Amino acid sequence: MSSPNWKICSKMEIPCPRKNNLNTVVVVTKDMLLCSLVERTLKDVYNLVFFSNIESSLDYIYNSLPHLLVLDVGKGEPSVISMLNQLKSDPIFGQMPALMICDDVYILPAWDDLLVEDFVRKSAIETDLMLRVNLCMARSERVVEVNPLTRLPGNIAITRQITGRLDKGEIFSLSYADLDYFKPFNDKYGFSRGDEVLKMMGRLVLNIVKNRQPVNSFAGHIGGDDFTFIMEPDLAAETALEIMDTFDRIIPTFYDPEDRVRGFIESVDREGNKRTFPIMGISIGSADNVERHFSHYGEFTELVSEMKKYAKDSSGSSFKQDKRR
Amino acid sequence: MDIQNLRIQIERIDTLPTIPKVLRKLLKIIENPRASMTEISEFVSSDPVLTSRVLKVVNSPVYGFPGRISSVSQALILLGLNVVRGMLLGVSVFEVMEKAMNGLWRHSLGCAVAARVIAKKKGIKEPEEVSIAALLHDIGKVALSLKFPEDYKIIIDNTDKQSLFIFESEKNFFSVNHSDAGSWIAQRWNFPRNLIEAIEYHHKPHLSKTVPLNAAIVHFSDVLVRGLGFGFAGDHFVPPVNPASFQLIGLSDGDLKDVITELEDLLEDGDPLSPEE
Repeated sequence: MSSPNWKICSKMEIPCPRKNNLNTVVVVTKDMLLCSLVERTLKDVYNLVFFSNIESSLDYIYNSLPHLLVLDVGKGEPSVISMLNQLKSDPIFGQMPALMICDDVYILPAWDDLLVEDFVRKSAIETDLMLRVNLCMARSERVVEVNPLTRLPGNIAITRQITGRLDKGEIFSLSYADLDYFKPFNDKYGFSRGDEVLKMMGRLVLNIVKNRQPVNSFAGHIGGDDFTFIMEPDLAAETALEIMDTFDRIIPTFYDPEDRVRGFIESVDREGNKRTFPIMGISIGSADNVERHFSHYGEFTELVSEMKKYAKDSSGSSFKQDKRR
Repeated sequence: MDIQNLRIQIERIDTLPTIPKVLRKLLKIIENPRASMTEISEFVSSDPVLTSRVLKVVNSPVYGFPGRISSVSQALILLGLNVVRGMLLGVSVFEVMEKAMNGLWRHSLGCAVAARVIAKKKGIKEPEEVSIAALLHDIGKVALSLKFPEDYKIIIDNTDKQSLFIFESEKNFFSVNHSDAGSWIAQRWNFPRNLIEAIEYHHKPHLSKTVPLNAAIVHFSDVLVRGLGFGFAGDHFVPPVNPASFQLIGLSDGDLKDVITELEDLLEDGDPLSPEE
């Protein structure tokens, strides 16, 4: 909850669809006719890898995490379905979409017992398969990984934003915000009140950023009380100041009336000692690549983190911007 | 109707209608893509129904911090312009009792202005909080007239004929009054404790435990605005000021004079409900 570890984020990057390469679709079926039909339909648009049964496909899937699994379950072969469910119950492979092909006579079970994202009946393959596959792909690209608390984009999406912009040679400012004295607040009032503060903070950052720059801005939630936002360099300072000012005005209502009046709470510090802590504030650090050149996004984020630490040294809400011009 | 039943009826209200004049201005504002947050915020804060609608949404469990927000400007920032526009599009209007409602709107707005002036005079940190409480203090009247329009007409009639205060005549009819109805709605809509109490105790400010000063200011603003004859709260009398509350606010004679002068100026100049241009 203290300083962010951006380097960890970079290792969490999962393979994402590359535009110049075709997306990989694993097709599992015993049916030779179906095989050639699928091949004819999809081969120009997707990189297809065929397997005759799910067992033999697993090694490939575990090693390369394809973009989509198309699985022929026939009339609902129980062994195939339990294999699929096992595969999908792992969080990494759970996010790989699975499209089921089934016989027209198969009576579909409850979706809890069949972990697929979509299905096509055999009689509809010629008309629908391509559309379904495309929809599965579009859906998984649309779903940004989000922080479950604030629903703001999380680490992977944040990393992608920063690297994507750097790769395109975009000029932008990156800011990093966290709360002062969040931990003692959480310890004193409990995590559910702490979560309320984080949800409020998420809305605040998102809406102030979007108000000041409706297009091509970005707000994300790194985790805990760490947030980030991306804007045009000229807008970063005024946005940060508005976030701080608004936060300072709203935050007292999250304290009990007595504490609000006193202006501090009693809680324990990291060493377990009882002491008093002031009402929470925000520290924001920010830097841009107007004058600087960053070859790797890690350099950029390190500088932003440094600015944030520097802001953290002043008492109350504060903002520090890298001024190298 | 017994109180339990009445309360259920009132709590079933999901949204309150505003008055036609406000709706016309509202449409102009939300159809203007360049309307700023500040403009929208000022407009919403001049109408008790729009304000209650915004506070209801921001304090709903959907956003994850129910019962925390009692300021319109903060609510709008937390909701975002898109949500606010969408929400305001669905506002409806009263089709009955237009005259009485127009009077009530002016009264509510007058109270909000008065409370803000007093709060500023007393150097209260967030004057908007008190001002919003004053704006909403009679929300129960809106709820009762919406749910029981025929009965409420009789109540207004009786108030006039029998020379009563409106809360007396409400009590004769329903055995509760608008401050009860208002507080039921405020609780149902997850409003913060400070707003609920100011609404519930604006006739008995000394009973407020959490926000006695806010309740006292709302109470005094109500009396003051009636005294100035601005708007119409449902009766023709000026109720007495609760002495303990007046003492709590602690306005000197000079302060009081300043407050009244400033209030009169503000009500003359900046009355958003004045006849349209």
